[in-house]
Amino acid sequence: MTQEITFWVLAVIAVLGALVAVRRRNLIHGVFALMIFFASLSGLFLLLLAEFIAAVQILVYIGAVGILLLFAIMLTERVTGDDARRVTSRGWFWGLVATIVIFVYLLLPAIQEANLPETAQPIKPSVEALGKKLMNPYVVTLEVLALLLTAALIGAVAAAQGARENKEEQSDDS
Amino acid sequence: MNLNLIIDILIATVPLLVIFPSLFAFTTWIERKALARIQNRIGPNKVGIPCTRAGGSFSLFGLGQPAADGIKMLFKEDIVPTGADRLFHLLAPILALIPAMLVLCFLPLEFPWSGLMSAKSGVQAFLLDSAVIFFFAITGLNTLAVFMAGWASRNKYSLLGGMRAIAQMVSYEIPLVLSAVVVVMHVGSLNAADIANAQENWRWFVFTPWGLAAFVIFFISALAETNRSPFDLPEAESELIAGYFTEYSGFKFALFFLGEYISMFAISGLAVVLFLGGGAGPGVGALPWLAAVWFLAKIFALIAVMIWLRGTLPRLRVDQLMGFAWKFLLPISILNIFISGITWHLKSQNPVVIAGVWVASLMILYVVAKGLNKLNRADVKPREYKYAE
Repeated sequence: MTQEITFWVLAVIAVLGALVAVRRRNLIHGVFALMIFFASLSGLFLLLLAEFIAAVQILVYIGAVGILLLFAIMLTERVTGDDARRVTSRGWFWGLVATIVIFVYLLLPAIQEANLPETAQPIKPSVEALGKKLMNPYVVTLEVLALLLTAALIGAVAAAQGARENKEEQSDDS
Repeated sequence: MNLNLIIDILIATVPLLVIFPSLFAFTTWIERKALARIQNRIGPNKVGIPCTRAGGSFSLFGLGQPAADGIKMLFKEDIVPTGADRLFHLLAPILALIPAMLVLCFLPLEFPWSGLMSAKSGVQAFLLDSAVIFFFAITGLNTLAVFMAGWASRNKYSLLGGMRAIAQMVSYEIPLVLSAVVVVMHVGSLNAADIANAQENWRWFVFTPWGLAAFVIFFISALAETNRSPFDLPEAESELIAGYFTEYSGFKFALFFLGEYISMFAISGLAVVLFLGGGAGPGVGALPWLAAVWFLAKIFALIAVMIWLRGTLPRLRVDQLMGFAWKFLLPISILNIFISGITWHLKSQNPVVIAGVWVASLMILYVVAKGLNKLNRADVKPREYKYAE
């Protein structure tokens, strides 16, 4: 009973947050609404006894992705947020059609055919199991991902450095 | 939902909500007194028990000052700038306080009354297996509040403070987490209570070479994470008026202040759990309630060091701040993970080996720190004077 109430509260908050994030014209408000959505999603994970995923949801999506979005907005001209320009969305009809098609043909059969247990089974301790799985069968995947992320990081630094050097050269010429 | 569960939850959470804010009031008094003594002043000494002679025998060293401050804050006018985003201006102080309060639940504080109602001993309000990760995740939310305040105030200085805060907190979170990884590696658990229990019998992690290094890194990053001096760039008074809370007055300002101190308590509490043995100390075996006392005493010792540093060190420059996090603390903490892995594989009780490990790891850390320092030092040429020869 308590779990059901919690689920519905979190679900309603999540849907409302997502709607506000899409509909608000103020970009900063939109980002914070998106963060509310992420937070309630983390609550849903916690309800499913997936502690680690809940924590990572907060850590990665709110702590990193959300703040990255804020940084990106700060670099645009819409910093102040009181932008009166109308955001016209042309493709709402086809978007709606695509959403319905995906829901009916992809998600609904998956939900119906999935053999879900009635109650979530706790894995004790879940983080330990996850860590062992990461070290035993999935170690190559983990390492490849780490390499990819490192390459992306170095690439970003290199790109930023190159741009700065070019600017310095230009300023020297002028 | 039965009644017992509700009572258990209340017993676990209400003391946290009562004890830490009252400690906050006491800490502000200590801080003002200590800073005053460092700067050769007297500090607050007038406010005592109400309706007695001010400055007389009942002033109790100015212990009434926090209460007077609180009353003053409550009655101050709440000013919101004209162009401000009113909703976010209101939400920011609340968002600053909630994560700080929430995080206190993850500390394995065992109050003497925790075993009164429930069968389980030792109420940690949220007994999660991955408490340490949750701690870092939720502490990170503080950044958002600071940014929110800076953005909603519609003030250049506030926004600059907010941007500085984001950059600083995001950067220093990485060495903070990486220095905690070392402890998690050795214990093999993310549960705060397990980590505290693993350090019984004076086997505190700060007494190991990797633990000492990690503790220093953790403490420096914690200072930066809570915007304490010398890392108080987001609120640098001499540059940004008051940074992100320039436009805040009255009780909203008090909430920011409270949130800052509560997160100081929380992060010191995590440092105590990770490195200083949690509630361990002399006499705990005989009197279990001493554990909570020891825990709070250790937190206060760390906070005293924070106050001392605030009175001693000048503020960093922005480029120094960023360079220190990315070019110094990050490589050192990664190296520390390697060193701790090697010592874990040695697993020797032989004092000679332990001493060797100490000397070797400290030497490695010293050499690398020196090298990084040399590498990072900008090549400053002697200043050229154009006109004043």
